Amino acid sequence: MIKFLNPSNVFNLTGKILNFIKTFIIPITIVGVIFSLFISPKDYIQGDSARIMYIHVPSAWISLMSFALISIFAIINFIFKIKNLSLIYKSLAPIGLTFNFIAIFTGSLWGQPTWGTWWAWDARLASMLLLMIFFIFFILSYKFIKDPIKSSKICTIISVLGLINLVIIKYSVSWWATLHQPSSINLIGETTVHSSMLIPLLIMLFVFLLYTALIFLMKYRIETIRVKKKGLKKL
Amino acid sequence: MNLSIFIMDGFGIYVWPSFIFTFIICIFLFIKTHKTLRKLEKEFVKELETLSKEQLSDLKRQKIAKEILISHTRT
Repeated sequence: MIKFLNPSNVFNLTGKILNFIKTFIIPITIVGVIFSLFISPKDYIQGDSARIMYIHVPSAWISLMSFALISIFAIINFIFKIKNLSLIYKSLAPIGLTFNFIAIFTGSLWGQPTWGTWWAWDARLASMLLLMIFFIFFILSYKFIKDPIKSSKICTIISVLGLINLVIIKYSVSWWATLHQPSSINLIGETTVHSSMLIPLLIMLFVFLLYTALIFLMKYRIETIRVKKKGLKKL
Repeated sequence: MNLSIFIMDGFGIYVWPSFIFTFIICIFLFIKTHKTLRKLEKEFVKELETLSKEQLSDLKRQKIAKEILISHTRT
């Protein structure tokens, strides 16, 4: 397994997967958008504004998943000093930040027709904004702190605090009375979304996951080349 | 032309900007990342040209360097 995670093997594999994703992402995106905007039915209360869900929900899920992953990798890297993990979290963090921003922006656009306001200082919204701040500090700490040990230490501290915030995001709608609705899709419990809306949502989630993989692999190649360039100077 | 697709009972002013904004951001991030990758690959190949024959043959044995060279010549 460790041999497979060797940067050389991973780098070679990224090239093949990138070409594969580039072939499929555009047709799947077109299908996802057609389903989201035209085929899926209106919500019986929110009307057409509920279509924002097909962008907002997958973005929020991916930003949460990205932060969970970068945090785990940062903590493992801090303990075991596996350099490849730092390349992985550096490649994943900007995508997580992007989707976090998209989730907040589209949430605001959805909030205006549904709640009558663009923004409210409620627990879910505030904790998502806090997640964005954690993402920004995480990225700044590995970009501007040149000492790798110090940078890894700060990234780990941000990760631990961010992981606590992830739990708050998840349970904020249950712990406090918020404007934000509780989860409609549960992996363990009952999902209350009808299949006519669930299918477009899953297609859009797949599209965003493909996009995440595409950018992640490109960024991973960038980080690997940067490391190699430093190696060239030492030759 | 059926304008109701765009108007969406008045919700179009919220729905369309959400989709358009998301796609603009995604395309921007893709182009920016793609450009940086190509630039770094070019710089890497340029730096290779400054190396001696021995250093170059040592480096070509490494899988990553080989892959960067191959992907650079493809574009």
